[in-house]
Amino acid sequence: MLDPRTKLILVIHYAVLVVASGRLPSLATEWAVLIGFILIMRRLKAYGRWLRLVLPMALFFGAVTAWSAGAPAGILAGLKLLTLTTAFFAFFAVTLPEDLGNALVKMGLPYSAAFVTTTAMQFVPVIGRKARGVIAAQQARGIPLEPGLYALRHYPAFLAPLLLQAFQLAEELAEALEARGFGRPGRSFYKEYRLRARDWIVMGIGAAVTAAVLMSPFRL
Amino acid sequence: MNSEKPESPAEPGKAASAENFILTEQLRYSYKKAPPDWKLNQMDLAIQGNEYFLIAGPSGSGKSTLCRTFNGLIPHFYGGLLEGRVQVGGRNTAEWTVGDFFSQVGMVFQNPESQLFNRTVENELAFGLESLGIPRQEMKRRVPNTAQKLGITHLLNRDPHSLSGGEQQLASIAAMLCLKPKVLVLDEPYANLDPAHVGRVRKALRNIHGRGTGIIIAEHRMNYTAPDAGRMILVDQGRIKEDGPPSFLLTSKNADRFGLTLGWKAENPRVADRPLPGNSNERNRTPVLTAEDITYKVGGRMVLDRIRFAIHRGESVAVLGANGAGKTTLLKHLNGLVRPAKGRIRLLGESIRNRKVSQLARQVGMAFQNPAGQFFKLTVQEEILAGPRAMDCLDEAWIEEIIRLFELVPLLNRSPFRLSGGEKKRVAFAAALAAKPDILVMDEPTAGQDGHFRSSLGGLLSEIRSRGRTVIFATHDLAFAAENSPRWLVMQEGRIVRDDSPETILPDIRFLEKVGLHETVRK
Repeated sequence: MLDPRTKLILVIHYAVLVVASGRLPSLATEWAVLIGFILIMRRLKAYGRWLRLVLPMALFFGAVTAWSAGAPAGILAGLKLLTLTTAFFAFFAVTLPEDLGNALVKMGLPYSAAFVTTTAMQFVPVIGRKARGVIAAQQARGIPLEPGLYALRHYPAFLAPLLLQAFQLAEELAEALEARGFGRPGRSFYKEYRLRARDWIVMGIGAAVTAAVLMSPFRL
Repeated sequence: MNSEKPESPAEPGKAASAENFILTEQLRYSYKKAPPDWKLNQMDLAIQGNEYFLIAGPSGSGKSTLCRTFNGLIPHFYGGLLEGRVQVGGRNTAEWTVGDFFSQVGMVFQNPESQLFNRTVENELAFGLESLGIPRQEMKRRVPNTAQKLGITHLLNRDPHSLSGGEQQLASIAAMLCLKPKVLVLDEPYANLDPAHVGRVRKALRNIHGRGTGIIIAEHRMNYTAPDAGRMILVDQGRIKEDGPPSFLLTSKNADRFGLTLGWKAENPRVADRPLPGNSNERNRTPVLTAEDITYKVGGRMVLDRIRFAIHRGESVAVLGANGAGKTTLLKHLNGLVRPAKGRIRLLGESIRNRKVSQLARQVGMAFQNPAGQFFKLTVQEEILAGPRAMDCLDEAWIEEIIRLFELVPLLNRSPFRLSGGEKKRVAFAAALAAKPDILVMDEPTAGQDGHFRSSLGGLLSEIRSRGRTVIFATHDLAFAAENSPRWLVMQEGRIVRDDSPETILPDIRFLEKVGLHETVRK
């Protein structure tokens, strides 16, 4: 397997290409390549779920652009956003957040900053569970939090307990971290991150391809 | 697990020769600086490094606070005002940081959800070692070794948040044990575990102690802790009241005084101390609640499998079962929070299929395990009124009655967020009853609560029943269930495997072990 840093550099190259693309066929090809990759990694189902979240955003972005700069520009903008985010989806499909975090620490990012990002992701499902718990508890005593306009009137009943629990969780987490030596200088790493020959080769190929495409007379 | 036999707990005489590892002198501590409100008061305590030491006392007595002085979290993390001295391994905790103590005094907190923050159990075990800067080779040896000692090798690649409560507790213990601490401090480790999981954790702790690591546990569940401990202290209002061997201190007088839970023991099945109102007198009338072949699946797994029962007005029914048996899912069917895949629930003879949860709340009041998940008003009074107001069914006389019943009069103008755990629970129960529902449903009403709370809740439940309400609660607390409900529905893997009285079920230890309600007796 490649080092997470190598993967990060590759995805950045890809993102540069996507941003530089200004024609429909090139963007469509770039998107198709990514989908092919996701297919190979057997993550198509997760991609479908994720697409349902991103698609409305891309449509909105495209619509706003179309309204101000015309339909063709709108379609391009929407597709570009979609392809760009797909590239990062593909990246996270093959990279664990903690690997990325640790690799970035190796590149000089402060450990605490990397920790915050990876741990935040770890706690998304926990907060989600708590949110469902709050809704259940309030409904069970007659406060209508069923989906719908009426629920808006009762939003404090949802938000207040959720925020409070989130703060409490944060407090307990901070204490647990303290008790496990978080922030002590001289930290070592359980996992090993090393750039091997193949990492350098892949990075070299990536850079060559990007440079060649950008400098070629072919208009992306 | 390892076949190595645990040593018997250190006897006081034998331990006296070992040197004191933790020493507190005239310790006083207050979370607030001004005016000081002493949570610990004049504590003089000496604990040897190899003891199995039990800190017992009612909720709010200062057990957790005391534990947090052992690794410097108090005063470094909490601030506040500390007087006197705490010395750990010969060093004054006030003069060193938490980072200097965490590898000697391993601390396992109450809530596994917030102390497990890595993506895998393996990383969880490695985290503390990384903090210490232990070389990778050594880490790669210690992590699997520790996992093996605790029998969690098969969990190393799992996400800690996907584990059962008992497994999470073992992972938290392993994460500390990896650091080879001198003592392990555990704050109410059994609060959310069913008896079968308690058995696993207890066994692990006995083994750890047998290998020479000291154990300090803060608990009020004496049946789980006292037999393992060599010495205990009884704490009340921040002061040490008694200090000695558990066999000597565990009298029923002390149990009442310090809110200890002695638990139900196989040797003396003592069902209900006071006479329970019977359940059978209304059997001929229409039941208030019936379940007709309820089936519910999640991702192909049967969570509930053809559940059927009928419950009559004024009954008290306990739903018992191990963690994951389907108790909570079943309760959530009773007010429509979860809808069955097949079968139906009838309330007073009518199907609830087409009714919204917030409408059903008028007939079925439900209180969940964690009351913090529902408070949002500034005062207790507002909190109790929120439900009836939303449903437009405010009955002032009834509200006054339940406020009196739950002894909430002195708390009415206080913020619900600032109450103690037991007080919060009382407010949540009152809120569930505020709309005058026919049925009160409670999920684990006694989880994490001390003996004082349990006995007062028992009294409340019979008061509620005498007012014509029906009570249904889920629990794995056999003692509480035996004292408060004459009818048990025992669940295992989504099915009701027994619907009977505790008098018939309790003596059947084999059965209780099979359904995870009794610690497996295997030496």
